[in-house]
Amino acid sequence: MDIPFIPVLLISHLAATLIGGLGLRLLFASKNRDPQYGLMLGAGVGLVGGLAAVYLLWLSFAYLISTRTWKDIDAGVDPPLLTERTKRDIAKTFTVFFLVIPGMTVFFLFVLYPIIRAANYSFYDWKGFGDPTDYVKFANYEKLREHKVFRDTLSNSFKLMGLSLMVQLPLAMLLALLVGRGNLPGRRIFRFLLFVPYVFSEVIAAIIWMYVFHPTSGLANMTLDAILPSYTNIAFLGEKEYVLYAIFTVVTWKFFGFHLILYMAGLQGVPKDLEEAARVDGAAWWQVLGRVTMPLMASTIRLTVYLSVLGSFQQFVIVQVLTRGGDPYNTGHVITTYLYKYGLKHLRIGYGSAVAVLLFAMTLLFSLGYQRMLMRRDYQEAGR
Amino acid sequence: MASVTYRNVTKRWGDVTAVRNLSIEIPDGEFLVFVGPSGCGKSTSLRMLAGLEEITEGEILIGDRVVNNVAPKDRDIAMVFQSYALYPHMTVYDNMAFGLRLRRTPKQVIDERVREVAASLGIEQLLDRRPRQLSGGQRQRVAVGRAIVREPAVFLLDEPLSNLDAKLRVEARAFISKLHQRLGTTFIYVTHDQTEAMTMGQRIAVLRAGELMQIDSPSNLYDHPSNVFVAGFIGSPAMNFFDNVDLFEEGGKMWVDTGYFRLEVPEARYDLYRPHMGKQLTFGIRPEAISHPNYQPADIRPSLIEANVDVVELMGNEKIVYLEESGKTFLARFDPRADITVGQRTGAVFNMASMHLFDQETEQALQ
Repeated sequence: MDIPFIPVLLISHLAATLIGGLGLRLLFASKNRDPQYGLMLGAGVGLVGGLAAVYLLWLSFAYLISTRTWKDIDAGVDPPLLTERTKRDIAKTFTVFFLVIPGMTVFFLFVLYPIIRAANYSFYDWKGFGDPTDYVKFANYEKLREHKVFRDTLSNSFKLMGLSLMVQLPLAMLLALLVGRGNLPGRRIFRFLLFVPYVFSEVIAAIIWMYVFHPTSGLANMTLDAILPSYTNIAFLGEKEYVLYAIFTVVTWKFFGFHLILYMAGLQGVPKDLEEAARVDGAAWWQVLGRVTMPLMASTIRLTVYLSVLGSFQQFVIVQVLTRGGDPYNTGHVITTYLYKYGLKHLRIGYGSAVAVLLFAMTLLFSLGYQRMLMRRDYQEAGR
Repeated sequence: MASVTYRNVTKRWGDVTAVRNLSIEIPDGEFLVFVGPSGCGKSTSLRMLAGLEEITEGEILIGDRVVNNVAPKDRDIAMVFQSYALYPHMTVYDNMAFGLRLRRTPKQVIDERVREVAASLGIEQLLDRRPRQLSGGQRQRVAVGRAIVREPAVFLLDEPLSNLDAKLRVEARAFISKLHQRLGTTFIYVTHDQTEAMTMGQRIAVLRAGELMQIDSPSNLYDHPSNVFVAGFIGSPAMNFFDNVDLFEEGGKMWVDTGYFRLEVPEARYDLYRPHMGKQLTFGIRPEAISHPNYQPADIRPSLIEANVDVVELMGNEKIVYLEESGKTFLARFDPRADITVGQRTGAVFNMASMHLFDQETEQALQ
């Protein structure tokens, strides 16, 4: 029988901790004592008690699967309760388990617990003072659905994601092919220069680009003016038609260097022999690229798509600085800046929590789905 | 099918000259081997022919066509790489069909050709596998199959056996020789292994530091090396050399004095060697021309010396004996029955009919 003991152990332990914590919290609340204290105490008891419970379960299970047979019982032979192998398995499982405890504790406290709390807040109309008492069911989510600004925001975030995938990644790939290999003169310098923006702080990047986008004296307008004199003094950050593309430009400038590095690393993993073999086999350069190089880069591309999608959903600093928090007229928001403005600045913690939960659910679903469906094989191959 | 011509081909990387003024004519259907130590330019010569390296000077012709500026795909060549370079994301079938598909060959023809070639190489049961599921020997066959399925005019093989273990390598050698006989196409084969070169090549081009040292049939290279390098490179164990030998006539006979012992030159060589007397000369003799006195071949002109036995390596069919005289060590191949022990003094018979003399300054053979 093959039971995945470690996941079972972890899940049952997680359950024990949660049940213990939430149970004691309710109990404490009903007895008019500090529910937070109850939560902590219960979680602690669950953590330790869960361990003991699991250990006992283990023992009984080990007894069941011990090598005692009916014949032995008839003959009155008493085989050892635990075989050497079972003992070894138990020892191994518990070693793993104890080593995992510190990490899991931090994870529970600073990741899982806040998420659960936020999910909890999202059902309250709560300003952040005192305990949330004003339970409103799904009202926050319904408000979210009805808010025109949020719908624009969501569309902005998706557009940003789409642009990243369609423009930023191909651009990074093109540059990686140019400077990552071959014999372009000065490619080392280019490689360095192209990576510089990624080293800058996001705030600095945004501020630099605010100057570039300045309506009268910015580099962007001056350049445009020189090429197309009929377009003058465009407020890239002040017009709702342009603001998203301005944001995208800055995000691309800042982050394509990261993808470039990943692609260059990926390209180095493509044996030169294979491309030469393809050339001798009769492939033109674009066929070599399409049929040999790119398929061998597939795992890197899958990784950058993954990071790019998550990154564009979580983008905050650049947008916040560039649009001063959603300018013009709340058309320059992405999900995170929307959350910041309507959740934190307006002190509507319950409402903000609803946004956060939505964002979390979206990224989690994407992340799990993408990894399960597309990146599974990459992990398996990496583990080889 | 096509001949190949290298005409004064030079390849330079900046200041480094990888190939210098190489001129070779390879007739249609020949099996030519480029051999030499690493860095001698043999792979570069092959890669220039494949179109994977630019030619700095000179020209390369396939058939009557100068191919200097022809893309690899239009040269009608196929190449087997040392790493095999099988596409890891394709099955064996797709690997073999790749070149044909690029040429828009009809599907049915591709299928026929791939299956036919796979059957002839004994890999038809592997067609659905990926390269990583194959053993080294199987990969090597697939790489060869991918090359021959396209029926190219010239086959290029760049050290295709280096990644195989010793036993497989011997099998693969025979397999490639047979393949050449069957296809009758021009084969150009690069290796650093002189055994591979000797066993497979119809002609062998020996390269050193980008220069062609000698190009000839295996037996001529072996019997008549044109310089010290070829003499030392071809043959294993390598030829024994004695520098600064004294060539002189005494009592109507010609003698070579190596400084350790004196050997009589066969009469047939008198006229050839006489003009070179007084020059600085190197004497060369292969280990197989030195035998134990009790087991010397019947038809030789023996020249007997004595030396100390330093090391004896019994190979089963022979004994490789390290002989030593006044600090100079040289190798001999004795009959395995020869009764010698280390530390002992033994007689050794030189078969002077297969002696070589080289001008020490130019390293060229006197011939």
